[in-house]
Amino acid sequence: MAHQVCLIRGDGVGPELVAGVEVIFKAAKVDIDWIDVEAGLKCVEAGKPIVPEETVAKIKEIGVGLKAPMTTPIGKGSVSPNVTLRKKLDLYACVRPVRSLPGIKTPFDGLDIVIFRENTEDLYTQIEYMATEHVAHSVKIISDSASEQICRAAFEYARANGRKKVVGVHKANIMKIGDGLFLKSFKKVAAEYPDIESWDNIVDNQCMQLVTKWKLYDILVMPNLYGDIVSDLAAGMMGGLGVAPGANYGKKCALFEAVHGSAPKYTGMNKVNPTALLLSATLMLDHLGEHEARVSIEGALEATLNKGIKTYDLGGDATTSGFSEAIASELK
Amino acid sequence: MMTLHGVDVFLRTPSIPELPKEFGAFTLVLISNRGSRVYPPPVPEMELSDWQQCRYLSDDVVSDAQIDELVLHLTGLGWQWTKCQKLFKIDGDNAFSQPY
Repeated sequence: MAHQVCLIRGDGVGPELVAGVEVIFKAAKVDIDWIDVEAGLKCVEAGKPIVPEETVAKIKEIGVGLKAPMTTPIGKGSVSPNVTLRKKLDLYACVRPVRSLPGIKTPFDGLDIVIFRENTEDLYTQIEYMATEHVAHSVKIISDSASEQICRAAFEYARANGRKKVVGVHKANIMKIGDGLFLKSFKKVAAEYPDIESWDNIVDNQCMQLVTKWKLYDILVMPNLYGDIVSDLAAGMMGGLGVAPGANYGKKCALFEAVHGSAPKYTGMNKVNPTALLLSATLMLDHLGEHEARVSIEGALEATLNKGIKTYDLGGDATTSGFSEAIASELK
Repeated sequence: MMTLHGVDVFLRTPSIPELPKEFGAFTLVLISNRGSRVYPPPVPEMELSDWQQCRYLSDDVVSDAQIDELVLHLTGLGWQWTKCQKLFKIDGDNAFSQPY
């Protein structure tokens, strides 16, 4: 029976990337019933909310979604469609796996780390004020329940995926109350998993260690803002945002997304690398229990890269559609 | 120019509080929990903390004394506030963020 999946085709280059993924999934004979739902700039231009309630309701009903990049309109009062979806669907865990891919040369051979980013609080609550005409005040919220929830997700993932180490990342040496609560929560949860090695690192030291001792790390878990920054650092170590996948998990649904932007200046140019969205889609296949399909598609991607077929961001000249078709041909 | 128009009263209570919708010059425009709006409905399906950000706002410029009266009124109703933040406009623009 076909898996039902909500599909947001996105803005800018989003629809081109989605088309690439569709070609590859078709070649892999993955039985997906894509249900198109609206969100993003097109909704705003049509006078609708950036994420219409019908979209939220449909993703809740179906339970799984794949989202291409969307554009956040610039201007007063505009909201990010990505943050809106995370909040309205209570997608508390942002999971960003980074690993070395064949054919993509980086200084970080053997990279294989999964980053768990808390997705619902921290400075991302965006509670901000001008306290005087000269002083701005942003409220950072850290709760024990959200911190324990993301730490538990990281340890559960470690157990389920045969990973051995989980490191809690924080800045509790300076923010002794807020990050102190996150660290306390991490230690509490870690004690429930004696089979998983765990320790904690201060975020600045963690960044330094990521680029000097990356093979030491397995799973990292951290509050929202650090997760935002560290996961992009790690994406760069993997080869750039064009290849870095992302997943957002809640208790009732999951949304898979390329973490890069909609690159509006490349719209219609058939140029942008579809790998990030493709690897997000293969994470989705795992979530749907289609592990074999995930392995075969990722194998086809690696075979394509090994042949030197690459998009411009990786030093090649393949187009979005050409690269996608090359991967598809590996599956036939 | 910075002008005073309201207050965010952060209440310590585990559920979404039933508060006066109006008080003097103020209207209860929203309640949010960890940055997500929970009043007016719909309430997102999210883990709620026991810290509710309750925003009372006036179109008109208000005084410090009016803010004090409002907060005292909420205390009198039995609500326990843990933080209050005045809401200003600067040259007519809101100098505070909106929740999701």
